[in-house]
Amino acid sequence: MEKKTVTRAGMNRRTFLKVSGAAGLGVASATFGVPSLLRAAPKTIKIGSIQPVTGPLAVIGQGSRLGNQLAIDYINANGGINSMGGAKLELVLGDSESKPEVGRQEADRLINEGAVVLVGPFQSGVAMAIATLAEQRQVPFVMDVAALDAITQKGYEHVFRVFITAGGLVAGALKYYKTVTEAAGVHPKRAVVTNTADPFGKGMSGGFLKMLKGSGLPVEVVERIQYPLGIQDLSAEVARIKAAKPDIIFPISRIGDSVILLRELYKQRVDLMGIFGPGSPGWYEPEFVKDMDKLAFYSMTNVPWINPESPSYQRGNAAFLKASGKNLDTNSAYAYTGALVIADALERAGSTKTKDILKSLRETNYADHPVVGGAIKFNDKGDNTGALTALVQIQPDPDLLKRVRIVLPKDFAQSENIIFPAPQLWER
Amino acid sequence: MNRLHLLLVLILAVLSGLPLVLSKYTLGIFIMIFYYAYLGQSWNVLTGYTGHISLGHALYIGIGAYTSVFLAQHYGLSPWVGMFAGGILASLVALILGFLGFRFGLRGVYFVILTIAFAEITRLVVSHIEVLGSFSGIFLDFDPSFRNFQFRGNIPYYYIALTMMVLSLAAVRLIEISKLGRFMVAIREDEDAAQALGVNTFKYNMIAIAISAFMTALGGCFYANYIFYLHPDSLFGMGLSIELILRPIVGGMGTLFGPILGSFILTPLSEVSRAYFSKGGLEGMHLILYGIITILVVLFMPKGIIVYVRQWLKPLIPERKGDD
Amino acid sequence: MGMDSTLAVQLLIQGVLLGGVYGLIAIGLSLIFGVMGIINFAHGQMMVMGMYISYWIFVLLGIDPYISLVAVAAAIFILGWLIQYTVVNRILDYPEAMQVLPLVSIGLILENAALMLWGPDHRSPQTALGLDSMWVGPIMVDTSRLIAFVLAIIITFLIFIFLKKSNLGKCIRAASDNRTGAVLVGIDVDRIYNMSFAIGAATTGAAGCLLVPLLPISPHIGHDFTLTAFIVVILGGMGNLLGALVGGVILGVAE
Repeated sequence: MEKKTVTRAGMNRRTFLKVSGAAGLGVASATFGVPSLLRAAPKTIKIGSIQPVTGPLAVIGQGSRLGNQLAIDYINANGGINSMGGAKLELVLGDSESKPEVGRQEADRLINEGAVVLVGPFQSGVAMAIATLAEQRQVPFVMDVAALDAITQKGYEHVFRVFITAGGLVAGALKYYKTVTEAAGVHPKRAVVTNTADPFGKGMSGGFLKMLKGSGLPVEVVERIQYPLGIQDLSAEVARIKAAKPDIIFPISRIGDSVILLRELYKQRVDLMGIFGPGSPGWYEPEFVKDMDKLAFYSMTNVPWINPESPSYQRGNAAFLKASGKNLDTNSAYAYTGALVIADALERAGSTKTKDILKSLRETNYADHPVVGGAIKFNDKGDNTGALTALVQIQPDPDLLKRVRIVLPKDFAQSENIIFPAPQLWER
Repeated sequence: MNRLHLLLVLILAVLSGLPLVLSKYTLGIFIMIFYYAYLGQSWNVLTGYTGHISLGHALYIGIGAYTSVFLAQHYGLSPWVGMFAGGILASLVALILGFLGFRFGLRGVYFVILTIAFAEITRLVVSHIEVLGSFSGIFLDFDPSFRNFQFRGNIPYYYIALTMMVLSLAAVRLIEISKLGRFMVAIREDEDAAQALGVNTFKYNMIAIAISAFMTALGGCFYANYIFYLHPDSLFGMGLSIELILRPIVGGMGTLFGPILGSFILTPLSEVSRAYFSKGGLEGMHLILYGIITILVVLFMPKGIIVYVRQWLKPLIPERKGDD
Repeated sequence: MGMDSTLAVQLLIQGVLLGGVYGLIAIGLSLIFGVMGIINFAHGQMMVMGMYISYWIFVLLGIDPYISLVAVAAAIFILGWLIQYTVVNRILDYPEAMQVLPLVSIGLILENAALMLWGPDHRSPQTALGLDSMWVGPIMVDTSRLIAFVLAIIITFLIFIFLKKSNLGKCIRAASDNRTGAVLVGIDVDRIYNMSFAIGAATTGAAGCLLVPLLPISPHIGHDFTLTAFIVVILGGMGNLLGALVGGVILGVAE
């Protein structure tokens, strides 16, 4: 592209017409799908990344975009895609603005710009719009993050998910909750579930409540509190929590409301054995850990998480820290993983044809990734059968970056010591 | 047939031929242009011609989308039929809103607040109805067929959207030259004077809002089967209501071609600037630019860009009397 | 006292205290509407600008938001004055739909400017009194809320005095009652309008400072506050300043 612009400057009108005619032919052949034999072998392979980099989820979207990008950079720095003559990968960028229609239009633009695979988009709603587009355009779509079960339930051929499903997330929460309470020999009796009233929050808390009821654990949910996304004040909700006299809180939050909740729990002196997040953002982000300091200590969250021991994490995190001053977290690490999975599939496919990429994605068996879990394999729905969650707890440490620690599963644990029940918020 | 008509036919012919040469993505931009032009035109029927300002038109898009999808999912009704059911339902809701507003003489800001309140209340109600997907929204099945209003490629959507835009143009033209249209404009210019002269302003206001809502709702059905995902916040939210009025205002409110012109300018602008600035490091720049351009147009071309286009086209337009 | 009545009193106190801040945000909106008939759809976004300025003063200079309040109000006063001077003054005679658009656009610009300037992170600084609370028997009184409430009432009171007693305030009220009349008696209406919008902006900036210890700041929260202020103003009666305060308290309690 750049080259063309350069030569055009010194061109007379006739040669310009010739060149633009040829370019037009190229565009036409791309549009009409003239057999790819006529085109030269690709020097770069484009991957479309759609993330919510503006709007309310910008903090996550920008981290995820960077995660996608750094994985691509890593592959390129190590010789690109060998099976295609060292072809380089290029991430083409789209912004969903958190809107499904924008996400769809952006995905279509990236396909038009030559993206052969799509990655993204964090939000389940946007994921649904893009999933259908991927099916329409017959372009593989690898969801790095997006948990709603329904997205893969349609049996779409082109849709894959690296992230865990909401169902898997909830199952992990119960498993770890059982382990923690049994190990401590302490069994909370009264619990409060809080959730944001959005698709994610409602779906998660509904699934969690259902599974908790069927689990036979000696804990009763005495109050379920829902509040709208983006709420600015939780004092009334926390007053209700206090009145319910819970032993434990299961919060399903987003970034921001967790801060408000925690501060109110402190101010209103709510007696608790602990805070156990069944699986939601809000309880491990660097800003949260830094700003909440002691208040953040001992809260536990079940979450798809980074695997700090893995070489892939150490590589990715070093690059991420350098680029953003932050550690990889769930979303950015999964974004990093999603792009790696795509690169791996391209390497084995040796071609950029949809048919070949799909085949090799289905045969994926990828273990060199930066997250807690087994080797990534996709089932017939496109869900990752190796996906696992971890239980992380914020533990005291002078170094902010070392406070968030994996405590379960044992194979991945950074700390043997699970602190439960925790000291009260105001006694720290 | 005068030269202006000839020009229009020529433009239509070019638009009809575009799918032969354009990529799916570029067609996608045109689909959005037609879609927003159509919605703008629907809004224009009420606000542009009677002067009653609705800032809650997303309400009717939502009703159209949800009704057609609900009927398709639960009763197997083709969206081609369901869209009209949605249109009728939207009209009924609009008539209730209109009754409250026009009977009690709410004008200006107070009518605006009423329209916002209706949309917000509906958003909250739909967010709590389980069969409508409540907070999670509805994820449509993809089952391409003409009957299902679903297609693999963009070309059918392109022609549907183009047809809708052209039909809305024709409908508004018909209204403009009818008695109804003249009464509506009289209401816009001075409602009290119109009433004093014996115009039944209540009746014509009600007709205008019903037509406007009906047309808007059909657009909602198109959205549903093009995007495949419905969510109460994005379909009933104020963001969409504002997005929808941007184009007719920039193009020229209360004019036949204003909404279309506005959409042909703003929609590609938002696409191109997003594509250009989303390269990283400048997240948010495209929205700032969008905001600045909107302000500049409203400040310096308050009658819309259509005024300037009219001047260029003057040689083509025959002298007409009393026609806007 | 029973469990339920304790809860009820607790909720009432929390609601009233926060309602005072809602009221302060809404007073700015109400003043602008009362004087010019304009709904400031960028109101919440202007408040967020105030919050960010206050946040950075706290982080960089260690000055508490309650103290930087005056400086922040002044900064937002200037921002409001500029917005009025460049945009709002030119659209006063437009139909309402066209007045909406530039203000929504200003909101969009401010929100995304905040995103570009300060990034998307949610920031919640640990201010000195951020976690303080007082106890009256079983009832908790949140210190930052109490301070916010008291300051909100004081600021509201000062605005009232200003409007009733000062020359400029009288002119503002005159212009709000009858624009033509005000012009006829020789009031520089444009200047009055600039002042009104700027004062409305400054109050919302001050309210932003009061909220810094209470909730995390991020670029996109302004929109919600515009809506909140809007609802408060409707509850209290459009353009009625005292009504705005009452409306704020009603909304605070209702939530």
